[in-house]
Amino acid sequence: MTHDPLTATTFAARAREQLAKPFLRVAVPRATDHAANDLRARFADHDYEGLRARGADIRSATIADLETHLNRLVAAFAANGVHVHMAADAAQARAHIRRICREAGARRVVKVKSMATEEIELNPALIADGLTVTETDLGEYVVQLDNDRPSHIIAPIIHKTREEVRQSLSRVAGRELPDDASELTGFARETLRDAFMDADVGISGANFGVAESGTVVLVTNEGNGRMSTSLPRVHISLMGIERVLPRLDDLAVMLPLLTGAGTGQLITTYVTMISGPRGANDPDGPEQMHVVLLDNGRRALLGTEYQDVLHCIRCGACQNVCPVYRQVGGHAYGWVYGGPIGAVLTPLFRGQQDGGELPQASSLCGACDDICPVKIPLHDLLLRLRRQRVDEGAAPFTERLVASVWAWVWSSAWRYRVVSRIASRLMQISWMRRVLVRRGPLAGWAHGRSVPMPARRPFHARRAHD
Amino acid sequence: MGDRFQCLHDGHFMRAELMTEPAELWRIAPTELRPDEDPHTRFLAEVAKVSGTSARCTSAELVEEIVRQIGSSPRQQIALTADLGDARPVIGRALIDAGHDVYDYERIADDRQTVRHLDVTVTGCLAAVAATGSIVTGGSAGRGGALVAPTHICVVEARRVVAGLADLMRLAPRLGAGSMIALQSGPSRTADIEKTLIIGVHGPKRVHVIVLDGVVTTP
Repeated sequence: MTHDPLTATTFAARAREQLAKPFLRVAVPRATDHAANDLRARFADHDYEGLRARGADIRSATIADLETHLNRLVAAFAANGVHVHMAADAAQARAHIRRICREAGARRVVKVKSMATEEIELNPALIADGLTVTETDLGEYVVQLDNDRPSHIIAPIIHKTREEVRQSLSRVAGRELPDDASELTGFARETLRDAFMDADVGISGANFGVAESGTVVLVTNEGNGRMSTSLPRVHISLMGIERVLPRLDDLAVMLPLLTGAGTGQLITTYVTMISGPRGANDPDGPEQMHVVLLDNGRRALLGTEYQDVLHCIRCGACQNVCPVYRQVGGHAYGWVYGGPIGAVLTPLFRGQQDGGELPQASSLCGACDDICPVKIPLHDLLLRLRRQRVDEGAAPFTERLVASVWAWVWSSAWRYRVVSRIASRLMQISWMRRVLVRRGPLAGWAHGRSVPMPARRPFHARRAHD
Repeated sequence: MGDRFQCLHDGHFMRAELMTEPAELWRIAPTELRPDEDPHTRFLAEVAKVSGTSARCTSAELVEEIVRQIGSSPRQQIALTADLGDARPVIGRALIDAGHDVYDYERIADDRQTVRHLDVTVTGCLAAVAATGSIVTGGSAGRGGALVAPTHICVVEARRVVAGLADLMRLAPRLGAGSMIALQSGPSRTADIEKTLIIGVHGPKRVHVIVLDGVVTTP
């Protein structure tokens, strides 16, 4: 297991570290504004509300009957000559993929950007087996070179400056590359071309899996998705079980939602629909195609109050509008998924003990609910997770103590009067106020907020006399 | 040829569960055409919006247009895919006469060195989507051919232009696509480095679409 920031540090510590980076605080809001504005422009003449209502219906009807659709998907894959493997957890998924690579006698692997493969920490396992693994999305390639983590679902190096990218690619080139995005991209194109040509196995995720036709759908702009599934002799797709769509024509709704909400594009440059390995009459394509269906905590959410999170299509729109994400960036969340969707998925997939503090990293403003292309009630889910954390006793001791004292005081009129009068008196004394606000139990809350001064005479006292 | 996009199940099991009145898709999805729009005009406009170039010509002008796009020098390595149909040998001869090396893609598909050094791929297509400016090619003509070369010239018979994604998905099982349906809208792009849009990453840097009034046959 690689270093796990989620358990090693707290959200507050990670957020402070990120806030100290001046570029991040300029770049993330700029890039995310760009995406959100493009989404608005894209739907200027169309009814985004109407389309996302359709998308939400398709997703909720599918997830409500997930096993039926999955069975159909598996049957259709099999009819297309796709080998299907079930993975209950990350370890099983890694084992399947390692075995497929081993049996294929593979030495070199090219990868398409995939959050699912990040989730199962696939690359270290393959590298440990002696395989050469190359990420082929430009952003993910730089992430890999820097031994970093992606910080946005669809814009993995949103946190890096052009200069940082230049330095990383210059290390590969063995010479100083010019400070020009076009030149840097050109260098990556040539370098990665060799990786594509020599690769034995291409590994992708799946944006969608279409049940009626047994089709994996990949959405990319760079062309690496199609390249990685065309040239190597084996294609492996790691697909979260929730990414199933019943019908091909559902794509007419889901594709514009995904690309519109993700990047503001009408459609991405490439939409690749793969129904199995190379056919008898096809001139090229992989000899084998495998789909690994990843559960890893997803089935356990069916029938719970968190089921709606399985509607997610990983567009990243909630990150783009989140006032917390826009300040602290993706790394502050400590695991694979950042922003509102990350604050929901992380405690659900990693447990309250590890991820329970993330739902606190929200102002509950609801901007994520308003933008989500499949209408996931993210802020409701965040609230439910906060409640669950308290119910499970996973909240820190001081937090629970303060909350129960607060509840005790507030649940009786005379206790409230006595305590508020004492508090008011104490706060009038300046040294006492300093102690309470800067060092005492309010210190954490008061950091970054101004603590209001209580009135000399409480409102209820004044009202009683007037 | 068993088409992989044949649907195994009857399509009715889901619609009844939908809660919203199915509004006309063109009102809510920008990837559909308004009923009064001309598909060919919109298609060419969308191709331009995604940084593609285009021309419109008749069957008699097709070969000349392709040769003009490629030029005569320097000498180029050119692959032609089988979906060009009857026009392929004619186009091939004209390009050889112009001084280029010309290959049938299916003959070189397994030869990585030749594929790696292709300069241009000329393909036909199964369909084109007017509302998104997408050309649609199939695994039956090759997955990698049009992707590796820096320039992709695609011949689109006018009759193959469909309105939007919904029509394309309805047609998908009958396209004869083989194992892959690939939509491509303009040249490849990235904005990974500081959101600067760069054209030409792994896929082609240049995509030229020729809309053919008529069918691809020997002129």
